[in-house]
Amino acid sequence: MYIKGVGMTKFGIHTKTTQELCYDAISEALEDADMNLEEIGEIITSKGDCSNDGERQRLFSAVLSSILQDKGIPIIRVVAACSGGGAAVWNACNSEAKNILVVGVEKLTPLPTKLVTDDLMMASERVYEQTEGMNFPAQNALIAQQYMMRYNASPKDLALVALKNHENAFNNPKARFYQKKITLDMINKSPIVASPLRLFDCSISVDGAAAAIITKEKTDIEIAGSALYADRLPAFEAQDMTSWQGSILAARDAYAQAGISPKDIDFAELHDAFTSVELMAYEDLGFAKKGEAKHLIRKGKTCMNGELPINTSGGLKAKGHPISATGISQIYEITRQMRKQCGKRQLDRARVGLAHNVGGVGSTVTVHILKHIGG
Amino acid sequence: MIIRWVSEDGKRKWMYPISRDIHTKGKIVKQISRKAKVIGITKVNIPSPLHPIIPYFILLLEDEYGNRMPKKTMKERKIGETYEIKPAKSDGAVIITKIKYDMEEYLKESLNLLHRYKISQEDKILIKPTIIEPAYSYQATNTNPNLLDALLNILKEKGVKDIIVAEQSMLGNDTIEAAKKSEILDVCKKHGINFVDLAKAEYTQKEYEGFKFNIAKGFFERKIINLPVMKTNSQIGISGSIENMVRVTDADTQKRMFAEDIEKTLPKLLKALPGFLTIGDATLGMHAQGPTSLGEPAFLNMLFVSTDPVALDAVFAEMGMLDLPAYVKEASSIGIGNANTKTIEIVGEDLEAIKLNLLAADKNASAHQKIKLIDGKANPYVFNSALQMASKLIGLLGEEVNLAIGSQITQDMLNGKSRIVAYGAEAIEKLREFGVSPVAEIPEDIDGTEKIMLLKSVLENPDKKSINIADKLKSKIAKVGAKIKGKF
Repeated sequence: MYIKGVGMTKFGIHTKTTQELCYDAISEALEDADMNLEEIGEIITSKGDCSNDGERQRLFSAVLSSILQDKGIPIIRVVAACSGGGAAVWNACNSEAKNILVVGVEKLTPLPTKLVTDDLMMASERVYEQTEGMNFPAQNALIAQQYMMRYNASPKDLALVALKNHENAFNNPKARFYQKKITLDMINKSPIVASPLRLFDCSISVDGAAAAIITKEKTDIEIAGSALYADRLPAFEAQDMTSWQGSILAARDAYAQAGISPKDIDFAELHDAFTSVELMAYEDLGFAKKGEAKHLIRKGKTCMNGELPINTSGGLKAKGHPISATGISQIYEITRQMRKQCGKRQLDRARVGLAHNVGGVGSTVTVHILKHIGG
Repeated sequence: MIIRWVSEDGKRKWMYPISRDIHTKGKIVKQISRKAKVIGITKVNIPSPLHPIIPYFILLLEDEYGNRMPKKTMKERKIGETYEIKPAKSDGAVIITKIKYDMEEYLKESLNLLHRYKISQEDKILIKPTIIEPAYSYQATNTNPNLLDALLNILKEKGVKDIIVAEQSMLGNDTIEAAKKSEILDVCKKHGINFVDLAKAEYTQKEYEGFKFNIAKGFFERKIINLPVMKTNSQIGISGSIENMVRVTDADTQKRMFAEDIEKTLPKLLKALPGFLTIGDATLGMHAQGPTSLGEPAFLNMLFVSTDPVALDAVFAEMGMLDLPAYVKEASSIGIGNANTKTIEIVGEDLEAIKLNLLAADKNASAHQKIKLIDGKANPYVFNSALQMASKLIGLLGEEVNLAIGSQITQDMLNGKSRIVAYGAEAIEKLREFGVSPVAEIPEDIDGTEKIMLLKSVLENPDKKSINIADKLKSKIAKVGAKIKGKF
């Protein structure tokens, strides 16, 4: 499968409805692909079941149909919490249709923080986790703590991840933190959300939509590997809490499909919902040996000018994390990097890119490997 | 307690109570541990509706089998410490348990944590659930049938042979119909247990401070296990351990208890009763406009267990951040139990850590936005039928009506109120006593359709000063019409 076109709204605060945000992202993707909606054979949309956003639009595929005024294009909705976007792309890669439009969207900013926390917490296990106060920062804090105790990593390493991603977002006009300078001092002094995680260790909830047109017709960008793995819901159930089997297995599968190994990856968009997740992903995806991820960030190897730039978009951390749109926005960034369309954050070498999207705490993981094969 | 369901060959573990290994079709063995090590801790500073009080801690526990579980607490602990719930040291302790899927195991554990409370096979047990109205089990109005089932399994396991389940529904409702719909009757049948309709029981008279209670005899002949649903109550704040005992008395007693002020007579009833164990059913629990199905399930997933009914109700009220009801305070002041949550021994969950904002019941609300109650502690029949009248008029627009019920109406309650309708003999008498002329007086003993038509005529006519002959005639015609309709 190939990428024909991509589009996304700015990630931030929007007054538009989710369907309008989708409309904007789809319009851009169609324009990028130089296609008409009539050429699309299937639409796969990803949107969460946010119960507090004031929209009350659960049958979103039909809402999308209404705004697109399409003539009978099948539309299905994929829900996989934060990996909804990646899951939509994975579904597209397994579709029979020639041209598939994937679009992910979420609106989170109409909600006060406590309601966003509650809404997102519904993606965790009700009896063991929700009733014990295990919101996502808390879950990831406990995992980060296990990781740091075992591998002698420190909050300073997490701060470096945050700093890197904020520096990248500074140059991304579609990022929430575009042109917003964040310093190490600000990160280190930010309040503790769930110890050891600070505010700047957490991704930011935003509104936004992202779209991609995936096709069987050969283009300049090939989806060389596409894998999805589902694992147990609570992270505490995993034998090793410091590693996510879903990431390991999805990456292994995607590398095998692409006929490459981790060292062949030029750059990646990783699921940094929390800075600790990015660190762990370095290892699960094979970029570092177990326990050695800290050296990558300490030595600047994953910075923009490093050997393996990670999250050039700013990542979930600083570009923003509109849940179901995130996975598709990663595809957007990789495609734009490969097509040399990233302006000040443009990489010199962007031939093979990897997108890593996670739902829950390692519960549903997608890994996509894109290769630039044209131009 | 950490429970896992493990495949016979030990290769797979589930955190859910499955009965068969889907991979091998083999048996499942339950793995239970009561002691665990703290292997992680986080201090959380971000609130949510389920966890409004911050900061709180979450411990990551790991047991001897390597099974893990997070545990919310308000107390900071150190990594490496042992976590274990120790049994209660006092008789009045309240055991709070969060159920992790296995209701029976957690109920058993809660009973084991009680101080000096024992059930022996010679005991004659009377279980008193809550079955107030015909409602499905998911509505949280009546005791969860699965909890009764779990309790009966435990009692049988202990070899207890003589068990009955006894209850009567709210005055005006049919007990057997309610027991059927709530599935309580099915559970009794499954276990071969007699269900006794207390409305038809033999009563014995007991007196406390001049108030005569006709109480079902069985309550003096058997060991009582009280099994109330924990919920909000728009008349008296909460329904729980104490309130569930109202219906051990006959209809006349109940009416007198309400007429004389239920908040004062309820504690007296407890003085007249022997002691009992309460298993507070908060498996669902109810909040908002309880105790009837106007309320909403609260999905609490908890049990509250104690031999002190006052302590249990006080702890529940505090858990839900609800005001401590006057009758619970009164019960404490006459020495029935302890209502001071600071001195109650709490075992299991940390009370501060389970607090959440339950929706308090609005004592003036009905299902109809324009019909407000002035509740002078009406008896359950009048109260329930008043709510039913209001429900039947939903959708009908009109001018606000204040429906006065009960004998405990005060001048303060009437101040500033217009368009008052007195419903029931007690309210009619009370309003006359105050020299207040209501727009309508509706007796409680006339036909239901007639009552609704009279209330309707007031609701939809803003200028109506009093109901007239034509209104009365119309209501009687409607009654006849409804009867004919019903016939065909």
